[in-house]
Amino acid sequence: MSYVRQLIGMFLLVVAVCGAPFMLYTDKDEVHVSPENVIVRTVYLLEQIADGSLGTYWVGNTERSIAQDIGPFALSTFELLFFSVLIAVAVSLLFGLFLQRFGAVHQLQRALDVIATVPDFVLIMLAILAAIQFYKWTGIRIITLSPFSDADNNWFPLTILAIGPTIFLMKGVSLKYAQIGGEDYIRTALAKGMGIWHILVHHVYKNVKPFLVADLKKTIAITVANLFVVEYLLNVVGLTRFIFSKDGGFEFNAAVMGLMSIVLLSILVYVLIRAILYLFERAFVYK
Amino acid sequence: MQIRRTNWPLRIGTVLVSFLVVLGIVGPHIAPYELDFQEKLHSETVNGKTVIVMPPLAPSAEHWLGTDKWGYDLLTLLLHGAPYTIFVTLAVALLRVLLGTLVGLYIGIQDKPQRWWLSVENAWSYLPLFIPVYFLLRGVSINPELPTSTLVALFIGAAAVLGVPSVASSIRQKTEQIKETQFVLAAVSMGAGREQILFRHVLPHIKEQVIVILVTETVAVMTLMGLLGMFDLFIGGTKMTYDPVLFHSMTHEWAGLLGSYRGFVYSNTPWVFAIPLAAFMFAVGSFSLLAKGLRDHFRETYQRTPYI
Repeated sequence: MSYVRQLIGMFLLVVAVCGAPFMLYTDKDEVHVSPENVIVRTVYLLEQIADGSLGTYWVGNTERSIAQDIGPFALSTFELLFFSVLIAVAVSLLFGLFLQRFGAVHQLQRALDVIATVPDFVLIMLAILAAIQFYKWTGIRIITLSPFSDADNNWFPLTILAIGPTIFLMKGVSLKYAQIGGEDYIRTALAKGMGIWHILVHHVYKNVKPFLVADLKKTIAITVANLFVVEYLLNVVGLTRFIFSKDGGFEFNAAVMGLMSIVLLSILVYVLIRAILYLFERAFVYK
Repeated sequence: MQIRRTNWPLRIGTVLVSFLVVLGIVGPHIAPYELDFQEKLHSETVNGKTVIVMPPLAPSAEHWLGTDKWGYDLLTLLLHGAPYTIFVTLAVALLRVLLGTLVGLYIGIQDKPQRWWLSVENAWSYLPLFIPVYFLLRGVSINPELPTSTLVALFIGAAAVLGVPSVASSIRQKTEQIKETQFVLAAVSMGAGREQILFRHVLPHIKEQVIVILVTETVAVMTLMGLLGMFDLFIGGTKMTYDPVLFHSMTHEWAGLLGSYRGFVYSNTPWVFAIPLAAFMFAVGSFSLLAKGLRDHFRETYQRTPYI
C-alpha cells in the first residue's frame, strides 16, 4: 500500500513541476499565480488516460499520439540510463575498491579528479567538439547528430552519459575505502595474515556497500540530469523530447508523461542495479 | 606525527575566489566599453586597400577578448555579468546552507525519525534540481515583463528553497550520529535544553562540514545555472527574438553567455563560445579548488592513513 501511496505522491510532484509554467506567469505587467490552471489540465489528462489514450503532442506541424511514441522513446532512454549507471557502478567498484591499492589506479583517479572539476554539461559539449575534431583528422565517424539515423552508434551518447555518474560514484567509493582502510579491524585482519583479496571482499566491500547503495540514488539523479543534456545536444530520440521540444512549444500532457516515465525508469534502474549487486554478492562474496 | 604538506589547492583556491569576489565588485566599473557599445560593420584602409570589417572580430588590441556576432565587446559583457554570476551563486549557496543546516539540525535532534521529511528527501533525490527550477521560472523569465532584480530574486529564492533538502539531509545524518555520543548524554543529564545541545554541542562538531558543503553548493549552483543556460533560461531574464529565433542573456551573466553562444561551437569563430566558456570554467574551477583544499585540510587533520 505504501508503494501505491509513494507513486501517487510522485505523480502529484510531477504534475506540480510540469504545471509550474501555467501556475506562475506574467501577463501585462502582472504576475499571475493560478494553481487552478494545473488542476484543470490534470483533470483533462486523467480523462484522456481513462479513455485509453495518452493525448497528443506536436512535432513541428504534425500532431502525434503520445501512446504510440512513448514505447520506443522509453526503450532508448532506458538503454542509455541503465547501461550508464551500470558502467558507473562497475567502474567505481573495480577501480575505487578492488584495484585501489595499485599505483596506476591512483594516477587514473588523480586524472578523474581534474576532470571532475569540469561540470558535466561542459564535458558533454567538449566531447562533441572532440568527436568532430577526431572526424576531421581521421575521417572515422564516431558521432551521429542526425535524429533520423539508425541508432548504430548508441555507444557514444552512452559513454558520454556514463562519465558524470562514474566520477561521482568513484569519488564516494574511494573516500569510503580510505576511511575504512584506517579502521582497526583492517589492521587486525592484516596482522592475522589474511589475504588481501579476502580482506577486500569480506571486510572492505561489505562495509562500503551501504554507502554505495545510499549513493546510488544520487548517482541515478545525476545520470538523469545529464540525460537531458545528452539527448538534447546529441539529438538522441528519447523521453526528454516530450519535455524539451526543440521547436518551441511546451505541452503539459507530453511533459507529464515524459517526466513520469523518467521517474519510473529511474526506479526500475535502481531495482535492477540492486539485483545485479545481489547476484554479484551471491557469486563472489557469500559463495 | 606526520609532517604537514603545504596545501596548494587551499591556497590557490582562496586567492582565486577572492579575486572573483573583487572582480564581481569592480567589474562593471573597469569595463573598457559601455554596455551598449556596438562595433558596426564598416570599412577600413589597410596597406592602401579597403577592407570590410565585420563582427565577430577576433581578439585584438581594441577588443582584448574579441566581439560577438553582433559587435558587442566580450570583455565588457563578461565584466558586467560578473557581479550576477558571483553574488547570485554565493547568495543561493549561503541561503541553502543556512536553511538546510537549521532544518537538518532540528529534524536530526528529534527522538523519532521524521517519516514525512524522509519521504521528502527520498522523492527529491530522484529528481534533478534543474527541472523544477526550469519549469518554475520559464513562465516569467522569457521576454520578461518583470524587472531584472525581481527575476534574480525569484531565482535565488527558488534555487535556494528547492536545494534545501539535500543539504539538510547530510546535516541531519551527522546530527543523528552526534546525538548518540557520550558528551551529548552528559549534557542532557546536566539539564541542557534542545537549543543548548544543538548550538553548543552539535554545531561545533559539524561546522567544518558546513563550510565544505557551502563551497560544494557554490559549484552545484553554478552547474545549475549552466544547465538552465543550455535550455535558454538565463538568470535575470532571457530576451528572445523571433525570426531568427535567438536567445540573449539580459544580465550577461556567464552561464547565460555560455548558453546563448553555444551555437558558435560549430562556427568558424570559436572564440565567441570559448571565451565565456573559459570565464565560466575559471569561476567553477576556483570554487572546486577551494572545496578540494578545504576537504584535504580537514581530512589531514582528522584522518588516519589506511593500512591497505
